[in-house]
Amino acid sequence: MKNQSTINIFVLFASLFASLHVHSSEPLSGAELINNNCARCHNSRPIQEFSMSEWKVIMPHMREKAHLTGTEVQAILNFMEIAATPAKAVKVIEPVTIAVDPREVLTRYGCQGCHQVQGAGGTLGPSLDNVISDRGKAFFLRKVKEPQFNNASSAMPQMPITDEELEVLAEFLSPK
Amino acid sequence: MRIINTIRLVTMLSAGLAIQQPLHAAESSDRFVFVGYGDVKYESADVAGTDAFSARFVPIFLFSLNDKMHVEAELEVGLNEDGETETELEYADIHYFLNDNTTITAGKFLLPFGQFSANWHPSWINRSIWTPGIYGAHGSSQAMDPMLPILSDVGVAAQQVYQVGSAKVFFDVFMTNGPRSEAEHDEEEVVEDDHDIAFARLFSPTTTLDPDVDEDEHGEAFPEVEFEATSSDNNSNKAFGGRIAVAFLPSIEIGTSYYQGAYDEGGQLDIRANGIDINLISTHAILRGEYIRTETDAFVERDHEDVIDSFSRNGWFLQGTFFVGHLFEELGSTEIVIEHAQTKKVEEAERWMVGINYWLDPRSVIKVGYEDTDVADGPDDKRFAVQFSYGF
Repeated sequence: MKNQSTINIFVLFASLFASLHVHSSEPLSGAELINNNCARCHNSRPIQEFSMSEWKVIMPHMREKAHLTGTEVQAILNFMEIAATPAKAVKVIEPVTIAVDPREVLTRYGCQGCHQVQGAGGTLGPSLDNVISDRGKAFFLRKVKEPQFNNASSAMPQMPITDEELEVLAEFLSPK
Repeated sequence: MRIINTIRLVTMLSAGLAIQQPLHAAESSDRFVFVGYGDVKYESADVAGTDAFSARFVPIFLFSLNDKMHVEAELEVGLNEDGETETELEYADIHYFLNDNTTITAGKFLLPFGQFSANWHPSWINRSIWTPGIYGAHGSSQAMDPMLPILSDVGVAAQQVYQVGSAKVFFDVFMTNGPRSEAEHDEEEVVEDDHDIAFARLFSPTTTLDPDVDEDEHGEAFPEVEFEATSSDNNSNKAFGGRIAVAFLPSIEIGTSYYQGAYDEGGQLDIRANGIDINLISTHAILRGEYIRTETDAFVERDHEDVIDSFSRNGWFLQGTFFVGHLFEELGSTEIVIEHAQTKKVEEAERWMVGINYWLDPRSVIKVGYEDTDVADGPDDKRFAVQFSYGF
């Protein structure tokens, strides 16, 4: 019995560390990874709840719990850095072009990590396609600025989006 | 003169510490984080005859030694019926990130069998107030006899993660001290403290007067096994097992688990468990379930000889959490939770649970639940509870 157990253990470990051929798909953004992983077990926690230095200690803990790779953890931390950076600082570090492209805004703030736009994106939050036609522009603007105003448990982060970027996004999502 | 020199020395050292202290604090804040959860619960239970408030505080200490090594520990601090503070080490381990997709863990860790123990046990997450019956009551009593009541154990584990096309594949293996015979345990030491008594109850159903006469359908005695993690092992055989899961995120995760451990002193009698777990996540609901089948060896008498025979049990639970606030905005962040669970063959029982979770923010929730357990050979149990739970 003892020998059999030992053999079983070796077989398990050997198969685990055997060099499997890994077919990686396109790397996911930090926002997509949050959408895909946090809600598997619990509500996503607002990024602003912890400081970046705290997230850098919390994420290795979650890496093992949620079966994340080191690369994925780094992508999530990169997204958190963007979300945690005040809007003015973002403008200084990465100046936005004068003609703001709404798709660039969606990408910059990882909106489609959690929301669908024209059929592409995550499912943690509702689709943005009809948000303005259904709820109105005022609702949309306030939701982005104050994500928890209508839902206390909303995990949506307060992004450092500028007024100009928000207007462009609202125009893009308005019914044509 | 000597006193003056001593004062100078103390003054210099104090000044040095005063200068150093902020630097150390700044450095440590990047490496150490204190998080956790807690809850306050009012519970009224029929069979146990209890009607009381209880409270727990569960701090989690996280410490990053460096990019490769991470230490984590979770304590559960609560009050027992006599007002004494009880402390339990839920886990205390170190992760070594061997490479991008491999993690080695050593210490007392959450067992990667199924999903409840490793991922769903904190009380603040989107689930029922109670632990699913097949996993036991985690330190307190319950009417349903658990299948595999292991939250954590001491040993080593390894984890690998692969991206295969659009799927992620998770491999977990572990080797731990494992279980032991409760009969041996009872003979060896007198059960003294309330915690041991509470734990022993997990394996001695409240409906059975003599815990050693649980029988299967053939009238054979069903062995009782204790799983509480210790820093000792009653035999040289280690328990081992693991889990393989496939996930199509963010919607589906399906896993299968295995556990095997010898529980007698001679290392001849094993308990083996197979499990299947599923986690379906959508925008409006989460559906979680697990099925566990156990085979427990025992010596039985056949033709005046002791031979090893196996006793099998199985059980399952399915729990749905529905975000009704998504469909009816006036309900805010309200969830409805429904669970059905069954155990079969020995100590058969069936349970329905309904509950409402109301979230105050993404980490604080008020849960109200009602549970009705039908026990085949014993009194049925009904429970009502209100719990305020918070993660921090």
